[in-house]
Formats: sequence, C-alpha cells, structure tokens
Amino acid sequence: METKVYLGVDVGSISANIVAVTGQAEVMAQTYRRVEGHPIRSVQRALREVRRALPESVRVAGVGTTGSGRVLVGAVLGADIVKNEISAHARAALRLHPDVQTILEIGGQDSKITIVRDGVVVDFAMNLVCAAGTGSFLDSQAKRLNITIEELSERAVLSRNPTGIAGRCTVFAESDMIHKQQVGCAQDDILMGLCQAMVRNYLSNVCKGKEIREPIVLQGGVSANKGIGRAFKEILGRDVIIPRYNMVMGAYGAALIVSGHDGKTTRFRGFDACDREIATPSFVCRDCPNLCEVIEIVDGGELLGRSGGRCLKWEGTSGPR
Amino acid sequence: MTTLAFQPWGNYALALAASAESFGVKCWTSTSSTPEILRLGVEASPEFACLPFKGSTGHFIKAAREGAEYGVIVNSIGTCRLRYYRAVQQKILGEHGLELFIFGLGYDGFKPPLIRHFDPALGPFLKSIARAARKIGAVETMEKLAWEKRAVERRPGETTRLLNECLRDLDKARTVPEIRACRESLPARFGAIPVRTDATPLKVGLLGEATLLRDRFLNHNIEEILGGLGAEVNNFFLMGMELRKIFHLGRGNPHSPKNLFKLARPYLKNPVGGHALESVAYTILCADKGYDGIVHVCPAGCMPEISIRPILRRISRDRDIPLLEYSFDEQTSHVGVLTRLEAFADILYDRRKKNRR
Repeated sequence: METKVYLGVDVGSISANIVAVTGQAEVMAQTYRRVEGHPIRSVQRALREVRRALPESVRVAGVGTTGSGRVLVGAVLGADIVKNEISAHARAALRLHPDVQTILEIGGQDSKITIVRDGVVVDFAMNLVCAAGTGSFLDSQAKRLNITIEELSERAVLSRNPTGIAGRCTVFAESDMIHKQQVGCAQDDILMGLCQAMVRNYLSNVCKGKEIREPIVLQGGVSANKGIGRAFKEILGRDVIIPRYNMVMGAYGAALIVSGHDGKTTRFRGFDACDREIATPSFVCRDCPNLCEVIEIVDGGELLGRSGGRCLKWEGTSGPR
Repeated sequence: MTTLAFQPWGNYALALAASAESFGVKCWTSTSSTPEILRLGVEASPEFACLPFKGSTGHFIKAAREGAEYGVIVNSIGTCRLRYYRAVQQKILGEHGLELFIFGLGYDGFKPPLIRHFDPALGPFLKSIARAARKIGAVETMEKLAWEKRAVERRPGETTRLLNECLRDLDKARTVPEIRACRESLPARFGAIPVRTDATPLKVGLLGEATLLRDRFLNHNIEEILGGLGAEVNNFFLMGMELRKIFHLGRGNPHSPKNLFKLARPYLKNPVGGHALESVAYTILCADKGYDGIVHVCPAGCMPEISIRPILRRISRDRDIPLLEYSFDEQTSHVGVLTRLEAFADILYDRRKKNRR
C-alpha cells in the first residue's frame, strides 16, 4: 500500500530546504542545503536527497513552494500551491506549538516577526531596507575569523563576559569587533557580544511597536545559532522556544498547507524534475513603458512558466507572446 | 507649437493633457513613470530626496530632452518638501543644461502664473476646464469599476486590459459629448467581464502619499496585486475629490476639509503636511465602514506620512483593523512587495474565517 506524502520546498536567499510529510503531518524526510547562487540546481540536489531518504512505496500527492524563489521553483517542480514565507512559517509554528503568540524568524537575509493571537496571525513585520542582524552577516564574520558558522555558535555560548558591540549597522559592528580584538578581548566574548548586538538590532528595528507575548518561538536558519538563542533569552528575559524543525520551518509549513488542500491530482512533475536541464531565457516586454524583464522557465521545449512581470499578463504559461 | 510637460499624475494625465490642448498647447506626459524616468531622476536628485521628487525630476529631464519648453508641478505652500520641488528641480535642470521652465501651481491668487503666461480668452479657458473635469470624472468612474471587477474576475488580467482599452478611448474623445458617451458606456463594458460569482472579495483601503498612490510604476502596481489576491481596493487619492476640496466645490461633500478634520480630530488636531491628515481621517473612515484592512503607502523619508504612522498603528489597535505599512524607494524589491501583500491578504482571510466561527 502506497503512502501519500506532501513536499514543502522553501527556497530562500541562502538555503533551499525540502520537507516531506505524511497526511498526518509527520515528517518523513527533511533536507537543508545552501543555495550558493543556483536556486534551481540546489533544489534539484535537495530533491535527490529527499528521494533517497523516502521509501520506494510513497506517492507525492502535493507540492507547496515558499521563500523568495517560490515562483521559479514552483514552475520547475510543478507546485500545487505557491505561498509566501510569512504564512508558511506561521503555519508550521502553529502546528508544533498551537498556543504560540509570537514567532521570531531570522533567515539568511530576511528577518520577520509574526504576531499570533488565538491561533490566528494578526500582524507581522519584516526587515525593510537593511539586512543587518541576519544570517549573512554572521556568515561573513565567521569567514573573516576563519571559523565555521557552527564553531561560532558553539563558542559564543562559552562566553562568560560578553563585550559590548555596536549593533546598529553591520559595518560599524565589524569595526567595533576589530577594535575589541585589538584591545585584547577574548574571541568567545566578542562572538557573544556580536550575537547580542544582532538581537538588539532585530528587536529595535523589526519588532518596534510589536507586543512580544509568550510563548515565543524562534525559527529560521539563524535559530540554529546557540549564541543567538541565548541572547534572545537574556535580552527579552523570557523563555524562547526553538521548535523541532527550526531550520526548515518554512518548508514544513508549505508542506502542511498543501496537505490541507488535498486536491484530487497534483501538478508535481515527478522526481525526474531533479535530473532535467532547466533553461531560463528572458525577454523584455515592450507593451507598456514599464519594460519588465520577463523570465521564461523552459524544460527542453516545454514552457513551464514565466516570472518577473509587474502585471498579470505573463502569469502562468498561457497568454500571448 | 509650445510643449508643456505635466507632472505625472497616473491616469489623470489624460485629463490634464486634454485641458492643455484646449489652450493650443501640445502636452508631454505619461500615465506612469518608467524605469528610464526613474533612473534619470535618481541620478540627478539628492540621495535622500523622496521618491515622488525623483520620479518627477526624471520626468521633467526626459521631457526637456524631448523638446518640452515648459513644465507644470503642484507647488502648494505649507505642505511638505513638495513646496521646494519646483525651485530645486529648476536648479537641477539648469545644472544639466536643460531649458525647461517649471510653473508651480500654488495659491497664487485667481490667475496663477501658468494661466497669466498663456493668457487664454475666457471662452476657450472655461471649455478646457470643462473637458478636463469631464475626463477626470470618467477616469474615476473606470478606475472604481476596475477595482471592483479585478477582485472577482475569472481570467486574471482581463480587467486591466479593458481598463487600458477604455483609457485609450477616453484619450481619443475630444468634445464634451464624446467624453460623456465614453463615460456612459463604461458600466456596460466592465459589466461584460466574466466574474466568479461565489467570491466574496476583501475590502482594502489604500491610502498614503498621493503621487505614490497614483503612479503604478512607483507603487509596483499595488492595485493590481491586491486585486489579484481577491481584494477590492479603494484608492483614496481621487483627483476630482482633491480639486473639489481645494476649490471648496460641491455642497455636502463628505470628504470636504471640514468633515475630514472632524473625522481625524480624536487622533490629530492639526494638519501635519502632505495628505497626512487625510490618511488619518480615511483610516478612521475605513474602520467605520467595515473595511477588512488598510494599506498605507509612504515614500521612504516622507515627513508627513511618517509622522502619522504611530497614529495609524493606534487606530489599527483601537478599532481592530489590520494595517500594513510599506515605504517605497527606488531600491524597493518587487518580491518584497508581493510577499508582504500576500501575507497581509492571508491575515485578512483568516480573520474573516475566525469571525464567522
């Protein structure tokens, strides 16, 4: 007897994640991969991993995509639902912690806060003009210090006396870190100071004016960093829950959403999609002065979809060319 | 023939062009900014100038390069940085070696410099006003119909196609009877769009800074995006309304300055520039009328709209109406706009479901 699975795919700036869940919302497989500039290829690799991890007898009954690459990857895989990441993250958090009231989510370049009351999202905020306080900055600092991001996480929590780092702007934060290292502060203390600065920046820029009530859930790629978790607990003075699938919550949420919309048939193009050569030629639409650059997603000779237009004209595969 | 460049005012550009042509003046304008116009404006403007400034500066630079001799921009006193747009833009144009003289339309008495310059006879002048007023009315009628239909259309994009077609027809209409005929045909034309009868669209109020509300390119087509998400928008910047407000026309106008003041009074007692007081008043109006949510658009660095943000948040909390604030500049990413609007629509749908329970 074959088991139905639903795939959730989250393609963000830094990572591409896939989660496979059963109809009962149990996770059967999950994978987290760095995008490294090739969203389609990294999703294909992630999909191969998921195929290996799943038993032969499964049948994919639905695919949901989310994240900033959701439209592109949705066309490549044949997604049934393409959902924004805010709703996907909220759905996942509500599944694991139904009483959650605040969801803090920090990813590669995005950071968001989602306010939930009585099990329904009521408000959200997202970083607007500045990516300070997101995973990219932690990455670049780890690289500068020639340590891995995992090491950074482990070492920050060892600190007993974190130094103060200016967190308003990453450029100044870096100058400040260098200053502290030149006066002889221990590296662990600097790293923890950096985590605290990032959390303060996030709380004052993204969460301004929002009421943070318990239970608080912290998720997204950066939540794997123990220093950040510790800084949140210290600065908020409250408990912060790091959920079970913290790294892949977006993908988990997308899978849950698609499993809830059980249509009769799926548009999923099969696991073969991970071996295909996808081309993305583009053209400039000259029908109005906007001159949108429209990207076509093509598999062999077959047009899978288009993206990039500002109006609805190039939506989907139909429509005149 | 003399060419006159109008500040971009969205689809109202048609009406403004029609009025200029009755003066015997050729008109240079467009219904929205373009990437090229914005690039020209950004290169020529101070970095921290607001987006509408960059847009209109680019607009005048392009117009001057294409041979326009005169420009017109609203230049009213006591609003916001808008007051200095004319002077600064004139200087920028000069520095670029462009000869285009900009008229400011402000409170300059009965005959503003623009009219004094061309000094038309009274007859043609009144005729031009009548045509422009008719066209403004027609644009408003078709836009309102489009907001309504877009939320329930069966084939995505059909309403916008029809709207563009109607705008072209309106542009061709020259005389008052032609314009009237065009306007009267609108309900039937929009009525012919196939709609989803089972849909109950969300009702979303769109308010904030006027240029941004009106320029499809600068606001990333926000009306269409919301329409595609099943939301019937109401864009609160209507030029007809605005003109009635400025010239104190129309008796019993619910949107007269007096009534808006009264509406906003519990939260804001003085105008703070731009359309900020209007934004506060319309937010309250939306709450009163049972809108599902409010989207507030604001150029990054817009003093009046930013100063009322805490007030809007307070109203949102007091009246329990969801609010999405978004500031736009030339770096704003389209995906970012989409993500937030989609998530906002999800919130509104979830609230509905919950309230029904």
